[in-house]
Amino acid sequence: MSEFLNQFKQLTATGYLFWVLAILALLSAVWVVTARNPIHSVLALIATFFCLSGHYILLNAQFLAAVNIIVYAGAIMVLFLFTIMFLNLRREDEESKTNLTKMAAVVVGGLLMVMLITIFRAKSAQVPTFNPVSFDSRTGLVENLGSILYSDYILPFELASVLFLVAMVGAVMLGKREAGDRHF
Amino acid sequence: MLTDFGIILLFILAAFAFIGIVLFVARLLRPNRPNEEKNSTYESGEEPVGNANIQFNIRYYVVALVFVLFDVELVFLFPWATVFGQVRLINETNGSWGWFALTEAFLFVGILGLGLAYVWAKGYLDWVKPQPKIPRVDTNVPADLYQRVNDKYSHSKP
Amino acid sequence: MFPIVLLSVFGILLLFLGFLKSRAILLPAALLFLLVSLAVNFIDWNKTYLYFNGMLLSDNLSMVFTAIVLGSAFMVVALSGSFMEDESAQPAEYYGILLFSLVGALMMIGFENLIMLFVGVEILSVAMYVLTGSDKRNLRSNEAALKYFLMGAFTTGIMLFGMALLYGATGSFTLGGIRAYAVNPQVGLSLLFYVGLLMLLIGLLFKVSAAPFHFWTPDVYDGAPTLFTAFMSTVVKTAGFAALFRLLSISFSGVYTFWWTILAIITTLTLVAGNITAVYQNSFKRMMAYSSISHAGYLLIGLAALGQQTKQAIVFYSLAYSVATIAAFGVLLLVARQRNAETITSGGSSSESFDAFNGLARQNPLLGFAMAVSMLSLAGIPLTAGFWGKFYMFSTAVERGQIWLLVVAVLMSAVGIYYYFRVIIAMYFREGATAPIRVAPFYRYVLVVATLLTIGLGIAPGLLEGLF
Repeated sequence: MSEFLNQFKQLTATGYLFWVLAILALLSAVWVVTARNPIHSVLALIATFFCLSGHYILLNAQFLAAVNIIVYAGAIMVLFLFTIMFLNLRREDEESKTNLTKMAAVVVGGLLMVMLITIFRAKSAQVPTFNPVSFDSRTGLVENLGSILYSDYILPFELASVLFLVAMVGAVMLGKREAGDRHF
Repeated sequence: MLTDFGIILLFILAAFAFIGIVLFVARLLRPNRPNEEKNSTYESGEEPVGNANIQFNIRYYVVALVFVLFDVELVFLFPWATVFGQVRLINETNGSWGWFALTEAFLFVGILGLGLAYVWAKGYLDWVKPQPKIPRVDTNVPADLYQRVNDKYSHSKP
Repeated sequence: MFPIVLLSVFGILLLFLGFLKSRAILLPAALLFLLVSLAVNFIDWNKTYLYFNGMLLSDNLSMVFTAIVLGSAFMVVALSGSFMEDESAQPAEYYGILLFSLVGALMMIGFENLIMLFVGVEILSVAMYVLTGSDKRNLRSNEAALKYFLMGAFTTGIMLFGMALLYGATGSFTLGGIRAYAVNPQVGLSLLFYVGLLMLLIGLLFKVSAAPFHFWTPDVYDGAPTLFTAFMSTVVKTAGFAALFRLLSISFSGVYTFWWTILAIITTLTLVAGNITAVYQNSFKRMMAYSSISHAGYLLIGLAALGQQTKQAIVFYSLAYSVATIAAFGVLLLVARQRNAETITSGGSSSESFDAFNGLARQNPLLGFAMAVSMLSLAGIPLTAGFWGKFYMFSTAVERGQIWLLVVAVLMSAVGIYYYFRVIIAMYFREGATAPIRVAPFYRYVLVVATLLTIGLGIAPGLLEGLF
């Protein structure tokens, strides 16, 4: 315990920020799963995304942080909200999850967690740590991403537009109003 | 000595603090006399009925999805904007870099633009407009009879 | 390389051709586009190129896989004449999405960078989710699409996580970079590397429906419109195995001792689960779903026993399997449509059950023969392509000395004969009142070509050997 406290005292400002963000992210993620009202789940998920964006900034991936907020916390969450509104979830429908399902989910999730913790703590899995000499705070900026994306990764980039096109065409094809559907 | 992101963090903290202070000050200053009318949901002066959580039409979803795709496309254009005009890259490639980058982005935007054109032309973005049914009654009375009657008697009055 | 670009353009073209008044042009256009792509594919024959800064490899093997995929797609599209009669169908969209999905499949075949693999898998999967649910009035189709989508999205996440871990361990997304790390580790391989490899494998094994990741397959194959089931069980499977082969043979051959046991266990599970469950099915379509699982198992043998012959075995097996499967689904399409028309008037058994084939061969000798040949080929009877496919697969196992894998596979093939012969018995020896089914000429050509190909490859398997 005292060892832990000592370690805690030695933390830098970034270290504190990391802990605060990590705890917030975990709490809001738990809230996503446990909230009774699906809208609350969505709000909690947005909070989680913001915390993760904070982590990205701490990891020196600034553009990713911005994208995370624009695309995920912004656009994707709108889709989530729409989906919830389509489903028209009511209180009564909720008990479709049996205890067995819940238990299985907990067991699988717990196993995955234990596995991941073991992996990341393993000696052979240590990735290089922070090195002040070679550290470049501009790595995660949008310029570097741009020069890689538009020279080396040009083919996957262009083909991503095909992916978007498929998604768009497919969605409107499935979402098209059929004769006889409700109007509003 | 603050880094750039330290300043942003300060901004965020200041924003939260500002909201808190304003709300707290308002609480100190305002009178607090709630009644049932004041506590009810505001619905343009109407009596609110039922739950706001109703089932939406799927068409909203199509629009939202198209929006998400273009949002992602926009995100891809940010990095492009920063490297498109880079003098170093243009000099290295004898000026062909600019054209190359321009073609890349136009291809990307063009394919998605074609997608939008497709969705638009197919009419998936159109809302179903209500088509009012004009009631028709089979009668021998001509439609302009009332008008004629009105005209006749409105002038005869002194 | 060229087919990828062309197919993207052609897909967009087809979407816009849908605006024309006449639907009749769509099918010929789609077939023409596929033929052009197939022809263009062979421009680089006998040459090896790396395109776009080492993103895409074009060599003879990838071209052969591309040809199999495009050929299967061509045959499936050729069987799609019924779209034109269906009022609620949207053929332009179907064909467009099919062509786009082929772009994804070709990326999976020729990828040299994991990003390419990921984008390819995504394009192919998204297209398949949509096509599975394209029969909007059918509840089973809707359910299948939703199931496929939810599980598929989840496994894509796992796969992506695996790629991230691999990158973390090796510092490279390219196949060569990962290989260099695995072959020549400086301080021993990182644990992240192994976990990343496993997660990547799980993602791809899900796509080819290997046990224990196969639970989606029966529902999805059963619920999807039959034509798209044929597409899924041929194109997606071939592309998935091409991707698996590239990954395992190039990047991870250095750690063969690590993954071969895992893969061998998965192979055994897949063979047993697919074959045993197929025996208990009453619906032909569902039986074909389980049979496709079992064929994934046979294909996995070649990977678990990775060696000199694997390349040839996988190419031959995918070709034999694709051709036979398309012929079987083609006949099923006709029979089911006929039965549906009949049940409206008389009321009878389900249009896709084994009983639907009762007495088929008497009135429709061509359909009966095509179906019988494809069943024999899938069962692996000599003088059909399927026999040589199995023969090559089994000989890879022998080469590696994995005798127990061989024993399981042979036993399971014996089980397979039982359910494939049920169809043949129903067609030739059962009584049933089947009116002659009208087969459109083009449809007939596809069935004849598929049957001839199956028999031809069965008699002269050496035809393919010189190709790559």
